[in-house]
Amino acid sequence: MFGKLYKWVDSRTGIQDSLEEALYENIPGGAKWRYVSGSMLVFAFMTQAITGIFLWMNYSAGSQNAWASVYYITYNMEGGALLRGIHHVMAQAMVVLLPIHILQVVIEKAYVKPREFNWWLGLVLMKITLALGLTGYLLPWDQKGYWATKVATELAALPPVVGGYIQKIVVGGNEYGHFTLTRFFALHAGVLPGLLVGFLVLHLAMFRKHGITAHSSKKRADQMFWPMQVLKDGVACALLFGLVVYVAIIHPAELGPPAEPTEPYGAARPEWYFLFLFQMLKYFDGSMGWNNEFVGAIVFPGVVFGFMFLMPFIARIKVGHAFNVLLIAALVGGAGYLTYEAHMEDNYNIYNEQDVDSAAYKKAAKYHAEVERANTEFRLIQELVEDYGIPLEGPLALQQRDPYTMGVRLFRRQCASCHAYNATGENAHLAIAGPEIDANAEGPMGAPDLYGFGSPDWIQGLLNGEEGGITSPKYFGNTSHAEGEMVAHVRDTMWAEAETDEDKAGLKETIEQVSWALAAEAKLPYLDYAGNQDKIESGINHLNDDTLGCVGCHNYKENEFGYVFTLDNYASSEWLTTMISNPNEVYSEDWGTANDRMPAFHSDATKLLTQDEIELLVRFLRQDRTLLGDTPESVEPLKAEAPAEEAETAEVTETTETPAPVESEEDTDETPVDTTQEAIEEESAEESEEEAEEEAEEEATEE
Amino acid sequence: MSETNNSTAKESRRGFFGSFSAWLAAAVGAVIGVGPVCVGLYTFIMEPLRKKQMPRKERDGGSSDPGFFRVASVDEIATDVPRRFTIVADKLDAWNFMKDQALGAVYLQKNEAGDISCYHTTCPHAGCSVAYEQDSNAYHCPCHNSSFNLDGSKLENGGSTNPSPRPLDTLEIKVDEATNTVFVKYEDYYTGRHDKVAK
Repeated sequence: MFGKLYKWVDSRTGIQDSLEEALYENIPGGAKWRYVSGSMLVFAFMTQAITGIFLWMNYSAGSQNAWASVYYITYNMEGGALLRGIHHVMAQAMVVLLPIHILQVVIEKAYVKPREFNWWLGLVLMKITLALGLTGYLLPWDQKGYWATKVATELAALPPVVGGYIQKIVVGGNEYGHFTLTRFFALHAGVLPGLLVGFLVLHLAMFRKHGITAHSSKKRADQMFWPMQVLKDGVACALLFGLVVYVAIIHPAELGPPAEPTEPYGAARPEWYFLFLFQMLKYFDGSMGWNNEFVGAIVFPGVVFGFMFLMPFIARIKVGHAFNVLLIAALVGGAGYLTYEAHMEDNYNIYNEQDVDSAAYKKAAKYHAEVERANTEFRLIQELVEDYGIPLEGPLALQQRDPYTMGVRLFRRQCASCHAYNATGENAHLAIAGPEIDANAEGPMGAPDLYGFGSPDWIQGLLNGEEGGITSPKYFGNTSHAEGEMVAHVRDTMWAEAETDEDKAGLKETIEQVSWALAAEAKLPYLDYAGNQDKIESGINHLNDDTLGCVGCHNYKENEFGYVFTLDNYASSEWLTTMISNPNEVYSEDWGTANDRMPAFHSDATKLLTQDEIELLVRFLRQDRTLLGDTPESVEPLKAEAPAEEAETAEVTETTETPAPVESEEDTDETPVDTTQEAIEEESAEESEEEAEEEAEEEATEE
Repeated sequence: MSETNNSTAKESRRGFFGSFSAWLAAAVGAVIGVGPVCVGLYTFIMEPLRKKQMPRKERDGGSSDPGFFRVASVDEIATDVPRRFTIVADKLDAWNFMKDQALGAVYLQKNEAGDISCYHTTCPHAGCSVAYEQDSNAYHCPCHNSSFNLDGSKLENGGSTNPSPRPLDTLEIKVDEATNTVFVKYEDYYTGRHDKVAK
């Protein structure tokens, strides 16, 4: 039955002849394992075409959608990570197989007369494969792909006269944008694979025309391609596929944070197989007379490629073939060496742990810090995507509202030259290094470490007069306050007076309670106020009774004798906003050296940060991850039944026009905070300031 | 039947281009073979080179001096320490028009005399973004080791190479005394060349 059907089909299609034509190719000397590299490359390409088409079914080119769709494929789609992983790893396998195939062809003299055209076709296929790798790297539109590809397209502008046009055509205009993606995608998924198929057909046709290069030997009989060589090829491809799947599972394809054109990525590197070209650019010094980079990036590789093109002719000369073998070996070796150098340079800090002070170490450490930063940004955007989904405007719109992503960026840019943010524990990924503080030198500035600012832990450290407390670089660093009144009071009065261990234990307890009372002013969303009501209340009493001597200088609630900034609302959202916008509004003017050198970030004269940026920073410092545009949940540190006498006291506040959101004072009963109340408060604040000044003067004269 | 066969044989004997029809077929073939590609290539090449226009309602807004962007107030610029400022302007990306987008960044600094200098953050070597580093008091590029002094000149760091073909690109600035505002003529330059040529 089957036989009859086959005959019927064959008589109308000639399938039998075609199969025989395809499979019964004589292999002189028989099937060999070392003939598999070509078939493996074809198989690798087929895998790329197939997985690529399935990726295409889920991918959307365009600045807003590219990253979002790749994120979806990788993290949401059923089997998407494996699909993308195979595509990603197989691409690298192809680049590894290429030089192997080429080396083999050269060593076995399969490139010489009459196979010149097949050699050239092979070179073209190599270029197309590399171009596929280059264009594919950009498509996820993440920081790494974006910034690495940017260097590559900058190089497109190097050729004299036409360079500028070439670059514009490749990029799709003057800058990266929608057209860059649509063009790269069309090249990657359409033009280049189409060309590759075309040249591959020619390559195979030439291969069949000239047959296999090997000669028949007496030791081993010739064999047909089918079945032994097909079996060997099949086994090799199956092994390759298995290996690729394995690698794709244990090292899933990475996705970086979304491309952000205004946030340069300091660890931009091309895919590893282009690293040798990347590294080579470093050696073409700019002081070289002629256009060094054009030579390094285009002329030199072009000459090398030209030599490869001419190899079939070179082989005609005596020792020409030996020269070719050496040339190819030197090229592979050279590329390997440059790749190694690039790797060693970027990882200098890992291989030379002791050489901390060298420039090479610092540079490598910086590279690693940038990689780490990208990982953090990715983790942050991933959390956002899981909580909010990706909006129509793309992932950047989400990032720009996130106090954590933007907080870290803004802090690094504007604050980290003085302040550190030594986050620990579950926030360790948000840590930002401050300047290196050398207490004995004039050196770099150093201001308080702002991680946990306003929290009980932070305040307890501030009020600790012993080692690791207020005198440590964590608090006043190299500012004028490092030897100021606050330090003198805590170290030389509070702690000097506590002589016995018992005294110290008592002091510590008081400090803990006071720290909670102060933290209650900050209304930090991450603190357990409800579980520490007793401490807060005792702390408030301690402050009112001036147990620690705080209200001698600072105002606090009805204590209005202070002459430095009030502790009311300390580290609250409004307080921080004022502090960052214009620190001089927090420090009273008659306290001359109060503000050491913190600039105003948003005042009438300077607008280093916008109000939105300040709000993002404030939320970041308060570890409040409410997105910009959403109202933070109000925090009530003290339960409603606060002592009645306090409820009557008007809040003494120096925060200016910031409209107080729902965060009413913990001690107001049911009175809603409205504008009139605010007006009253402001009035009373002015009064109390005057009073405080007068009283401070009185005190001074008494002393 | 046999007559037709004969004439075919004759034609082939006259050569591939032996008849008018053969030339005509070749010409038609060329047109249909190349035509669609030409139309496609035309758009592929010409579209990126075309000068794009802002939407009509946005065209005349902004600075009266074309090319100059407001970047900072004079007070925001620190003495002898470069600060990074973002250039914010409306942006056109293919089919999207977006208001107030960050286009790029510059470094601004003052000297003791109060003279302001302005540098492009793009490395003239291969287009990565240079960063000012406090501990070495210089600009460094994270890609191919180019580095620059505070005055933008190339830093010759003994032994290692500095692939940048030219100093950091300076940008023209204008200070509006009345409002104390600094404007920068922001433009991009081709990288990897000894001469500074605007894109």
